[in-house]
Amino acid sequence: MQDYSVIVENASFGYSDDAPVLKNISLKIPKGITVAIMGGSGCGKTTLLKLISGQIKPSVGSVTVLNQEITRQSNKQILQLRKRMGMLFQFGALFTDMSVYENVAFCLTEHTNLSESMIKKIVAMKLNAVGLFGTEQLMPQQLSGGMSRRVALARSMALDPELMMYDEPFTGLDPISLNVSAMLIQKLNKALGQTSILVTHDIESSFKIVDYIYFMADGEIISEGSPIDVQNTDNPMVRQFIEGKVNGPYSFEYKTNLDYNTYLGIL
Amino acid sequence: MQKLINYLVALGNPFAGFILHLGGVFNLFLEILSSIAYPLKKPALIIKEIYFSGVRSLVIIAISGWFVGMVLGLQGYNTLQRFGSVSMIGSLVALSLLRELGPVLTAILFASRAGSGITAEIGLMKATEQLDAMSVMAVSPIKRIVAPKFIGGIISVPILTCLFNTSGIFGGYFVSVLLLKLDNGIFWSQMSDSIALHEDIFNGIIKSFIFGIAVTLIAVYQGFIAKPTADGVSSATTRTVVSSALVVLALDFILTAWMF
Repeated sequence: MQDYSVIVENASFGYSDDAPVLKNISLKIPKGITVAIMGGSGCGKTTLLKLISGQIKPSVGSVTVLNQEITRQSNKQILQLRKRMGMLFQFGALFTDMSVYENVAFCLTEHTNLSESMIKKIVAMKLNAVGLFGTEQLMPQQLSGGMSRRVALARSMALDPELMMYDEPFTGLDPISLNVSAMLIQKLNKALGQTSILVTHDIESSFKIVDYIYFMADGEIISEGSPIDVQNTDNPMVRQFIEGKVNGPYSFEYKTNLDYNTYLGIL
Repeated sequence: MQKLINYLVALGNPFAGFILHLGGVFNLFLEILSSIAYPLKKPALIIKEIYFSGVRSLVIIAISGWFVGMVLGLQGYNTLQRFGSVSMIGSLVALSLLRELGPVLTAILFASRAGSGITAEIGLMKATEQLDAMSVMAVSPIKRIVAPKFIGGIISVPILTCLFNTSGIFGGYFVSVLLLKLDNGIFWSQMSDSIALHEDIFNGIIKSFIFGIAVTLIAVYQGFIAKPTADGVSSATTRTVVSSALVVLALDFILTAWMF
């Protein structure tokens, strides 16, 4: 029987009853693979990631992460489960009152009884893995956007999590940082044998490193498969997204009842 | 009929909002109490908060206390002179400060100086996903961020109140003895005769302790419910100062009626 890191079954979620963000989502992510959740802005990708990390609970359906159904767990149990997960936030979310060293060492000092000298060595190793050895004493304000993201990656890897989640890891990066980040994600995934979930709309980079893709639109999964399957799909929404076409089923315009010409007084 | 219903709803909404906030503050207070062991095991976190909210407020508290004491000395001298009771000025300055002005003004100044800072810090941490990041790393922000700030606040406010009172008494001394030439011995002896250790000093410190709890709780709560935008954080810091001032004044009335 295949072992799954994440199982989402018929999950729905909305911040209010009349505006569902996720509608009847079901997915299964096997252990050790890299999965991308793709789709346009506002389609519910980040909300789905929050559901998997236990930050929010579905109004309907169930979410099982690392063999534990988090929908039935208390906040305390979810906190315990999170020690086995890592998450990279879109803008790093480094603690601004702590140095790079303190940021990376945060989980180690909170959840382990390791000696200071051991923590120092682990922090150096994690920073070296993201190419930032020697920045221990810098404050987050002294780092560029790409460097902050890499420090955040080192921090989220500190406890060698079994499940790693990346929220828009490639947004706002220059081409070099972008390639380095993609390479790092792939390298760390292989080295640690962890399961990785990437929420992204960067087609080129993610197609290179992921094993499987879920494509979302309007809170639903509309297509899934390997990068080749998704590239060759006939689904018009996916095709429009991949090809970056302005016209298509995915509307660029905000849905409104107002008529633009009438609004401007043009008959 | 519909108009009447709408009117009643409009009337009830702010009240319902107030009750919800009260419930939210109480819930947060219970959560903080259940997390209190964590910062006690890591005293460095508490010391850092005492430094940021307490030590950095020393100057404003000392200067404000000094001026309030001087005003009390000046007003007291002018009024008491009419009744031939200028000798009572030391008692007037000390009692006004120890019982009322010290605890109340210190708490309001603390809310403006440190409370608003606490709200802004937590609000910005929320806006920049730092609180979410902490939660995802299996560390409760209530334990790691809020509880140390809470303890730091309730330790700082009574100490700052003592400083305010001391500075105020010297302000009163400066005006009445050094400027208006009241006898030095009369100033101090009248003061020591009229002050009761338990009734005046201890009760004043108990008041400041309770104000410290209220102000710090409001500050952390407002930070937590702040909208994660620049405007949201700005509004939250304003609400902290306004709510703290009103709550401190209301609590002062209740405590004064109970204590004295």
